[in-house]
Amino acid sequence: MPKLVLKFQNSVLKEVPVGRNEVSIGRSPENGIMIDNPAVSHFHARVFNEDGRLMLEDFGSLNGTFVNGQRVKMVALKAGDSVGIGKHTIVISESRDLDGFAMGSDKPTQAAPKLNETVMLDTKERREFLQKVAAVGESAQVAPARLKVPTLIVRRGRTDQTEYMLNDKLTVIGKSAMATVKLKGWFAPKAAAQINRREDRSYYIGGADKVPSVNGNPITQPTQLSSGDVIEVAGIQLEFVYRD
Amino acid sequence: MELDYGARSDTGCVRENNEDSYRASPEMKLFVLSDGMGGLECGEVASRVAVDTIVEHCRRADSNSALPLSGGHMNGVSETTNRLASAVRVANAAVHAVAQASAPGKAMGATVVAVRFAGERMSLAHVGDSRAYRLRGEDFEQLTCDHSFVAEQMRQGRMTVEQAGSSPLQNVLVRALGIDAAVDVDVSEELVLETDTVLLCTDGVTRELSDAQITRVLRETEEAQEAADRVVELAKQAGGGDNITVIVVRPAARPVGAFGRLGKWFRESAWQKTATWTNGNNVWSAVGVLRPSFSEG
Repeated sequence: MPKLVLKFQNSVLKEVPVGRNEVSIGRSPENGIMIDNPAVSHFHARVFNEDGRLMLEDFGSLNGTFVNGQRVKMVALKAGDSVGIGKHTIVISESRDLDGFAMGSDKPTQAAPKLNETVMLDTKERREFLQKVAAVGESAQVAPARLKVPTLIVRRGRTDQTEYMLNDKLTVIGKSAMATVKLKGWFAPKAAAQINRREDRSYYIGGADKVPSVNGNPITQPTQLSSGDVIEVAGIQLEFVYRD
Repeated sequence: MELDYGARSDTGCVRENNEDSYRASPEMKLFVLSDGMGGLECGEVASRVAVDTIVEHCRRADSNSALPLSGGHMNGVSETTNRLASAVRVANAAVHAVAQASAPGKAMGATVVAVRFAGERMSLAHVGDSRAYRLRGEDFEQLTCDHSFVAEQMRQGRMTVEQAGSSPLQNVLVRALGIDAAVDVDVSEELVLETDTVLLCTDGVTRELSDAQITRVLRETEEAQEAADRVVELAKQAGGGDNITVIVVRPAARPVGAFGRLGKWFRESAWQKTATWTNGNNVWSAVGVLRPSFSEG
């Protein structure tokens, strides 16, 4: 039975299996998964089974529902998909799989290491495991890589271009020679902020000489960007979007 | 950008041999460490071959730009990063060859984390669970994701941080050098600020010490070598259950003259001061205050 794993940043908040009954998601307490955040609509979306397929439907929510970074109305889900609602993520997980192994149940595993000695998963288990990880990685990458180009649009402030496609792993905002988003003006910092593309093709913004704000909130640690996020730093305002 | 660095490796308090290796090459601005596995002398050999091969490949490429890139060219990252990734792939092949020849059928391998600085850019490549961290202001950030079983489980939401922390499978890697003929290398790039500190370490450090403990040492120490020594001592005091290896790199403090002081004064808190200026009467009065210290030095 598939399971919805509600996460915020790195912590797992809740796990809800999807059986014959649908699971609704929203800010209202009547929902199977309640997310108490103003960015989430009262009845935001639902996940349900249809002919053996797991479906996700957005109820026309204001801020949208994203699967692997792409805004969706109604889609079929598969294990490993990552559903973004506001700043929360719901990961689709197949509950059987390696769970017994992972949680170290009654069955002793061959991979259990000796005291503090680093070991590899043994060959067969590793192959299977890597295939699963690869499958998850692929599904997470398909949506943005297919036709969406992550882009920064300059909403306000003095820069050398009006928009920037993020082609590189590292994007620097500042006056420095290595900066992609070049700031102008006397008091512009050399390196105001940086954006990193991680291995899973997600984008994170972090501060450098300045503390950027995302959607009006100053960030204290690198923060993942979603489509529509507004970044403010060093007197400029940028919108992060996935462009066709 | 000049660099100050410090490095130290220690067997720890429990193990009999040190399977970690590191190489620091300040003239190439290249720093590499590796945690070997395979038991007996296999782990030592694997980690030694890994770090030596990486430094050697980069050195040869520096004097011969036509040296082919192993694994092909990646877009979106610098030439330095491409070369570093290539070096890690070559190291994988080297460890694999040694493992096949000397310990067929046994899991002889090594982790690796390597950084190389070029201007304000740092290239980073890693395989396994050795880590790179950066301290920037208040934020102590892990720059690498472990290729370990528990880390993959957490990424997929199958394990919480607490479950992972107490899992008996913490030592199980899903990726390492030398296991297969080819390996996936994670690469990234980072901006380097003059106030940043970069730390590379093996899991012997992070098993024993919390982020807060490591951060405190990095904050309190002036010299990078002193920071590396103190992190190793602390990890030993905390139990030293595994080999412990640390490299600390930070941009070197530049000789400070009058211009340097003035520049530093601007850089450190320009935005706070700008705020004061715009709230106060005008910018020129603030600059006027500066002038005496400028001419004195």
